[in-house]
Amino acid sequence: MILKVVNLCKKYTHIDGVVYALQNVSFDVKRGDFVTITGSSGSGKTTLLLTLAGLINPTSGVILFKDFRIDKATDGQLSGYRKNNVGFVMQSFALIPYLTAHENVMLPLAIFNMPNSQKHDSALELLRLVGLDNRKNHLPKELSAGQQQRVAIARALVNNPSLILADEPTGNLDPSLSTDILNLLKRINEEKNVTMLMVTHSPLAAGYGNNKIHLVNGSLINN
Amino acid sequence: MNIRKLVWLEFKQHKSQLISGLLAIILGIAVIVGIRSISVVSEKAVAINLDNLGANILVLPQASNVDNYYAADVDAPTFPEEYVERIATSTLAGVDNMSPKLTRRIIINGQKFVLTGILPKNELASKPIWQNSGLFGAELKASCAETPVNEDLGYKDKKLQRKSIDSLAMYDCILGSSASQRLNVKDGETVEIEGKTFHIARVISETGTIDDDRIFAHLHTVQDLLGIKEQVSAIEIMGCCNAISDGLLGKLRNILPDTRITTIGQIVSTQIQTNKMMNRVSFIFLIIIIFVGGISIGNFMWANVNERRKEIGMFRMIGFSKNIIYQMLLAKAFVLGILGGLTGYVIGTASAMWLGPEFAGLTISPIPGLIFISLLISVAVSLMGAVIPAYLAGKIDPFNNMQEG
Repeated sequence: MILKVVNLCKKYTHIDGVVYALQNVSFDVKRGDFVTITGSSGSGKTTLLLTLAGLINPTSGVILFKDFRIDKATDGQLSGYRKNNVGFVMQSFALIPYLTAHENVMLPLAIFNMPNSQKHDSALELLRLVGLDNRKNHLPKELSAGQQQRVAIARALVNNPSLILADEPTGNLDPSLSTDILNLLKRINEEKNVTMLMVTHSPLAAGYGNNKIHLVNGSLINN
Repeated sequence: MNIRKLVWLEFKQHKSQLISGLLAIILGIAVIVGIRSISVVSEKAVAINLDNLGANILVLPQASNVDNYYAADVDAPTFPEEYVERIATSTLAGVDNMSPKLTRRIIINGQKFVLTGILPKNELASKPIWQNSGLFGAELKASCAETPVNEDLGYKDKKLQRKSIDSLAMYDCILGSSASQRLNVKDGETVEIEGKTFHIARVISETGTIDDDRIFAHLHTVQDLLGIKEQVSAIEIMGCCNAISDGLLGKLRNILPDTRITTIGQIVSTQIQTNKMMNRVSFIFLIIIIFVGGISIGNFMWANVNERRKEIGMFRMIGFSKNIIYQMLLAKAFVLGILGGLTGYVIGTASAMWLGPEFAGLTISPIPGLIFISLLISVAVSLMGAVIPAYLAGKIDPFNNMQEG
């Protein structure tokens, strides 16, 4: 078991009353799972992903990553957890515009104490994995949307994470590019045995998961 | 890729913002350096001018009359000679030379003269104008005129070479030019003073001062002769100009409370007041730079943080801790401070070197020590300005890049 979620709740107090973003959500994720989280807009998909990333504090409940209590951790511990264990792939790619593809991939390693040559080689190897080693010196604006998402996937892998959290990774891509990216994620999931949690509203993307979570108004409907 | 490289790459990306953010700090430092460069040279020039004038502080008994600064000691009441030692052992800064004296009117051959008892070495050191009189001995230096800058200002001028004779025999005397003419005596001859025969060690060339009419003998001989043992009527002090402006007179008054201490006020006050004003202006600019420079850097950093909210959020998301975010922004502020300090120093020094001869009549040389002060102020102001934006950057939501689904 890599991830265990028990009775997770997140509520926001609003002027119109209390909003329950997550209500008693419980599920387990095994190492190497490809988990898809689906649901309509406002169902709590991204809140769940952010809570698992330690970016939002839950109101109640337990989140265990291996033996690490995410729900009880301090800000510094959560930074360490993300640095060492988590890779992110976002809908908006979130690449730094003034860094080249190679530098963007190396970015998470900026806070690792290792030789620069090793950082350089690791990033280059991942660019090769996503088929962009020939574009390593290109800035994000010089790459297509699909290529930018490939760079973002390479960046998510560079710290050798055991968990990749993806938020609508194909949301900004056309169907053919979406298939490419989903295939790439699936390949990484299988070849590197990286656990994947992907938020999506696309039935095509949801089909890639072997563990499917569906949320309705913050509650888990099936797992 | 490391944090330093990341900061550097971000700098390169925002060059124009960098220049506008630095402008206030550069100008502030340049003004401080410019004023300070001129005022330091000006202070030295005043110090040397005062040194050139010789003694500039007169210690007199409380009851003395100071209507005439240069003759205030004639027939004045007396006070203990031990006061000289009291000043010497006080370790007061800025007392370059002390010349105790006892002065009384005497009559020789029916003519009135002024007899002054002196300690020869001290007296000569306090009278630059005597330097051309042919008296030579050990060389003395004024404490405030020892830096290389002062050589540029003329310290090597022969008038400022302090020479002194080490001793004056018990019955030796030195005559002013006018006194020698009235007595009709020359070097090597003798003169009868109060029943004792004195050998004329030297006749001083005409100085155009009250000294021309005086007869000088050893202080202790004059004390014995006049029956005023271990008493003096005045102590002339050669005080360093800067020390005078820093309150040397007040400190002397504390040591010698029952005396009257006066100075050549009109000479000292004008330039010292100007120097003080320049120092005040520097201080005002320091305050201005702390506020304006700090706010300017703070504003620049805050704009930078706001513009990079998504980027900083992404850094946080991939594991950058708050401390690393603080470090990145403060490192940026540190570099800004270094650049601002160095550029401000160069512009300020160049301006002073250009404007100094034009407006102040002074040749200005760069003062290397100001580089460190410029850097210190600039870096401190930059870091102060960046503290709040850095703190707020650490509080940016890391999930800026995600939308609720």
